[in-house]
Amino acid sequence: MDEMRIEFHEEMEALRSDVIRLGAMVCETVGRGTAALLDRDLHAAQLLIDGDDVIDDFCLGLEERCCQLLALQAPIAGDLRFILTTLRLLSELERSGDLMVNVCKASRRIYDIEFGPQLRGLIEHMGEEAAFLVRTAIDSYVDADTSLAAALDDIDDRLDELQTAYVQAIFTSHSVDNLNLQAAVQLAMIGRYYERIGDHAVNIGERVQYMVTGWLPDHPGATRPAAPITPSPGSDGDALGPGTDSGPDSGPAPGEAS
Amino acid sequence: MTGVAVLLGVLLVVAVGAAWYWRGVATAAGTAVAAVAESPPAGDAEGAGSDGERDDLLAERLRAVVDHLQWAVVIWDAEGQEIYRNRVARAMFEARDSQVLVAAAIEELRADALAGRSVRREVDVFGPPVGSFLVVARPFRVRSLDDPAAAGSAGAAGGAGAAQVDGAVAMVEDRTLQRRIETVRRDFVANISHELKTPIGAVGLLAETVIDEPDPAVVERLATRMIAETDRLGRTVDDLLELSSIEFGDDAEFEDVELAALVAEAEDRLGSAPAQAGIEIRRDVPAGVVIHGDRRQLVSALANLVDNAVKYSADGSEITVGATVAGAGEDDPEGTVLLSVADAGIGVPRRDLDRIFERFYRVDRARSRRTGGTGLGLAIVRHVAANHGGDVRVESTEGVGSVFTLVLPPRHSAPPGPPDGSDGGDER
Repeated sequence: MDEMRIEFHEEMEALRSDVIRLGAMVCETVGRGTAALLDRDLHAAQLLIDGDDVIDDFCLGLEERCCQLLALQAPIAGDLRFILTTLRLLSELERSGDLMVNVCKASRRIYDIEFGPQLRGLIEHMGEEAAFLVRTAIDSYVDADTSLAAALDDIDDRLDELQTAYVQAIFTSHSVDNLNLQAAVQLAMIGRYYERIGDHAVNIGERVQYMVTGWLPDHPGATRPAAPITPSPGSDGDALGPGTDSGPDSGPAPGEAS
Repeated sequence: MTGVAVLLGVLLVVAVGAAWYWRGVATAAGTAVAAVAESPPAGDAEGAGSDGERDDLLAERLRAVVDHLQWAVVIWDAEGQEIYRNRVARAMFEARDSQVLVAAAIEELRADALAGRSVRREVDVFGPPVGSFLVVARPFRVRSLDDPAAAGSAGAAGGAGAAQVDGAVAMVEDRTLQRRIETVRRDFVANISHELKTPIGAVGLLAETVIDEPDPAVVERLATRMIAETDRLGRTVDDLLELSSIEFGDDAEFEDVELAALVAEAEDRLGSAPAQAGIEIRRDVPAGVVIHGDRRQLVSALANLVDNAVKYSADGSEITVGATVAGAGEDDPEGTVLLSVADAGIGVPRRDLDRIFERFYRVDRARSRRTGGTGLGLAIVRHVAANHGGDVRVESTEGVGSVFTLVLPPRHSAPPGPPDGSDGGDER
């Protein structure tokens, strides 16, 4: 029995380091995708689009391992939350990778458009912020650091501000430098993709807080109306929560939608 | 016992192999390897300890040496169990950035190496920081477990095609710097031929056209173009000559130069170009700051920085030439002078930031034709800074602007390189 436990914990460690690897792959994708966009490098963009299959495949493999652990080891409490969080993390990271694929696809559509230094600077910044957020989210997960995980929401504000400035710059560019409408729309969507990567990192942060403390932080703000994940009902709380207290309030917080 | 011997044999191969590879580059490691290699006979002569103890000692020393290699080294036994991982490899496996991808490549090559194949894979990571790594994994055989020296050579010789192996070793070489140097060299050759050949080709073609041209108006236009092209070539050659003279520092005359006067002189050299573009140059230079340096070089460096700022700023914007003295105190009465040129221009893309000081490096070739620069300005600035024992730094955001800062340390830290005319005989 003890031996099985050791094996189980080794497998969890292996899972953890593979999530680090996945995180590094996604960060790498963010940097490469941004460079491909700024350099208008179609070849690099194509490589990245093809390379996303590797990330997806890797994710599927990890998911399979999570499921096996759940089925074979029937983990409880912290271990269970770790595996559940890892499952969620996988989809968030995988989606972040997909968003960079979207960026690359958009960059193919506007490869002949010259966009000004201000837009370029903002894109570069958004790319850096997005990669930083992903890396920080992974750090918070690996270190089970709730304060870092909670800080992700605030760090994401920087990316949101950048995106707002970026959209403004697109309007200016559209009216002053005659940036055509089609390119302007593509560029605006690119901004949105980066912003979404940040949101995924914030989601990871929330999940990490759940992993450590056993309850899910409230969903503030109008950006996420009516929490997409309903908190676990009381009956499951016994298995998931750290003790008798499974969370502040069960049921979605009312009056936050609009 | 077997485990120790295997580890020992492989460590020896790794250490000696790396020392041979580095010949002269990493003499420290080489010396250490030699020291370890020589030590067992010495131990024998003293008759101290059994074979086992000697092996343990040797393994420990080899481990220490391999631990200090700049290569990552990972060793597996025949079953694929990891038996050793050196310091660099440990850092790689524990990293959370792109380095883990290199670690992943090591793991992926393990199966091949254990199956008796020598395999290699190049891993380029985007970072940051950008890196380029070569991962090599190969099997090894231990001919005689009792004789570590023989085991070592067997491992080295037993390259590919070994049916049965006693384990495998993976090594990672960091090729980032090498890659960078290759790129710089290749770009330089391409760029210099472009910069020199384009105007020459243009003059040749224009002259050919002039020969058969009866219309005086066209002749005049062609001749004007020829003059423009020769001017361009002339400027490039002038800058090249200036760069090489600064590089060798042969006619440098070090003297005390008043900073404010220096800035004024640099502005004079630019003439009316800033005014024509409606660009205002603000001066924020404290009076009475004196730099010890070569006046001509410093003027040239500063003029180049301001010229750049003018070229890449929008019409009607502002450039600030500022100076601060940092760290002036008791033991350092002069302090380090920070001379900065700030603009609100188009800025430099991040990936080009560390390359713009290379000769003929262009961020945007199309634009450089219009602005008429030679592509040598920043290379000159860098050399002037180096001649004065200083440095040039740049901070830039695209669309926001750039700040170039010339860091000039106090005179006593100036390099001995340039002949110091004014201070003859004064040993400092």
